[in-house]
Amino acid sequence: MSTPDTMRRAGRPGARLPVTARPPAPPRPVPARMAVRDVVRAGGSGLRSRPLRVFLSALGIAIGIAAMVAVVGISSSSGENLDRRLSALGTNLLTVTPGQSFSGDRAQLPAESVAMIGNLPAVESVSALGKTDAKVYRNDHVPVQQTGGLTVSAARADLPGTVGADITDGRWLNAANGRYPAVVLGARAAAQLGVHRAGPEVQVWLGEQWFTVVGLLAPNELVPDLDSSALVGWTVAERELGFAGRPTTLYTRAEESSVPEVQAVLGATANPENPSEAEVSRPSDVLAAKEATDDTLSALLLGLGGVALLVGGVGVANTMVISVLERRSEIGLRRSLGATRGQIRTQFLAEALLLSALGGVGGVLLGIGVTGGYALSQNWPSVVPVWAMAGGIGATVAVGGLAGFYPALRAARLPPTEALATS
Amino acid sequence: MIRPQAVRTPRPVVELTAVAKEYGEVTALRGADLTVRRGELLAVVGPSGSGKSTLLNIMGTLDRPSAGTVRVDGHDIDALSDRELSALRAGTIGFVFQQFHLAPGVPALDSVADGLLYSGTPRGQRRAAAERALRRVGLGHRLHHQPHQLSGGEKQRVAIARAVLGDPPLLLADEPTGALDSRSGAVVIELLNELHEAGTTVVVITHDRDIAATLPREVRVRDGRVEHDSGVRQTPRAPVPQEAAR
Repeated sequence: MSTPDTMRRAGRPGARLPVTARPPAPPRPVPARMAVRDVVRAGGSGLRSRPLRVFLSALGIAIGIAAMVAVVGISSSSGENLDRRLSALGTNLLTVTPGQSFSGDRAQLPAESVAMIGNLPAVESVSALGKTDAKVYRNDHVPVQQTGGLTVSAARADLPGTVGADITDGRWLNAANGRYPAVVLGARAAAQLGVHRAGPEVQVWLGEQWFTVVGLLAPNELVPDLDSSALVGWTVAERELGFAGRPTTLYTRAEESSVPEVQAVLGATANPENPSEAEVSRPSDVLAAKEATDDTLSALLLGLGGVALLVGGVGVANTMVISVLERRSEIGLRRSLGATRGQIRTQFLAEALLLSALGGVGGVLLGIGVTGGYALSQNWPSVVPVWAMAGGIGATVAVGGLAGFYPALRAARLPPTEALATS
Repeated sequence: MIRPQAVRTPRPVVELTAVAKEYGEVTALRGADLTVRRGELLAVVGPSGSGKSTLLNIMGTLDRPSAGTVRVDGHDIDALSDRELSALRAGTIGFVFQQFHLAPGVPALDSVADGLLYSGTPRGQRRAAAERALRRVGLGHRLHHQPHQLSGGEKQRVAIARAVLGDPPLLLADEPTGALDSRSGAVVIELLNELHEAGTTVVVITHDRDIAATLPREVRVRDGRVEHDSGVRQTPRAPVPQEAAR
């Protein structure tokens, strides 16, 4: 009766069937796949009808994401600002100080150490400061104890080129004025001594005699010691201030690519007899360490942002639960139109994801705005890393998925007759 | 849709055999038998609590019976999973409800287009079909109106357009005039008659005996049983073969 042939013909339009025979069972119905655009549209339809509620629950998410993006953005902007400053200052400056000898005394660097470092292959320039015991005062009436923490050092003529010191007024010590009682003041030293400009008539009381201020230095970020120094010529220091001619700090610019190699041999080169005594440091590292953003604080703020995001997620879950309760008859209608449980689940999950993605995008924009505003106020470059933005959106999608999962499951499990009965 | 026109006795669309349905202690149906053939227009009439809504839910595969056999468009409901039942509804059954179930704020055209949302039809085709369906129910001038801008009768016509969008072999209308005044109700019944004449199988659930009396076939339900079946009154057909209702 039901040969394969008749079965095949039965499906065709106009196929004749014996009146008394039950037609062969038709193929089992298969649900059609919904296009992604239709899923998104169905998910969005629930949002469009309740704009205020959507705005408020998206705002919860947005605040959390904005907090996290802003924390990352501000710390990146600060880091970028530091990087730019460092690259302007140069990261290839190395300093050598005598350190302490084995017996605990202040060690000394040999007078010829400058020349020896200058002979190293990758060294671009080298210069030195030698601290003297002299003190500097505004005039000869100031009590001796009131040094103001200022030091007097002998400086080699090539110091500004090596450390990158800028002269704001007058000029630097040179072969000519370096023999005479001439002094160049660091920024803080000048302010403390009440000196605002350089000139032949401007004098300070230094080492029991008058020195003429020939130049003023700009504040130096890389070598802050210069700010509180009064710098005199090497020769005049030896002649007038009892300076022994032994450098107390060596400044070396190494080739950018060979900084670590130079750093490794610098101590031994400066003080071959006691290489362990010499202390070598890289001022840019010190500056970076000092200015690096406080990781603990950032982590704390990031954690707070995370908590805000979590609270936002709870808000989304709440909105979705209410949405499912309110829209039982819509669920029933959609089931009657042929939606499978899975399609109902997908619709509500899509709605939750859209809702939190809305908050995520808003939060990222808000976070970029906060970062931009803060960076502007600090005169920093504004940087928000792409990973932070992507991470922010990704986090909201995860939160939305978690928050929407249970309500979507409940919506899908609702029997169609029960759903239709409520209205 | 495949419509074997050449068959003398049209194939049954719905076959209920000794269908019972219990909700806990409450028995809604106790052994109901009913066969609906393609192209029929019939009323299932009965007082509230008679089980006629349960009958509609079971015919529409929205609910499964506690006992008995249900066949819809040749499919044994018992053998189909929930997914397959959903697919069957998407392609075979259109529903019209007393409460219209139109989403607030959604234009008529989009509401109607949703009638094919789960059938895998692309959106452009859905909207084109929706416009045709709305014109067919006489609402060509109301395409972009939202539910609150429509009268009750117009809302129900939108809902009917949505139900017949995919040209389903079976249209189930649950108290379609229940929320309407008599004039709007008459328009809706007239529309169902037109659909029937165009070949759609229509089952109208109603408690209104006057409406039931105007339709070609009337099935009276009381206490969960089919109390009286008028049979097809206008165009007599060959007797129902018993094995078809096995």
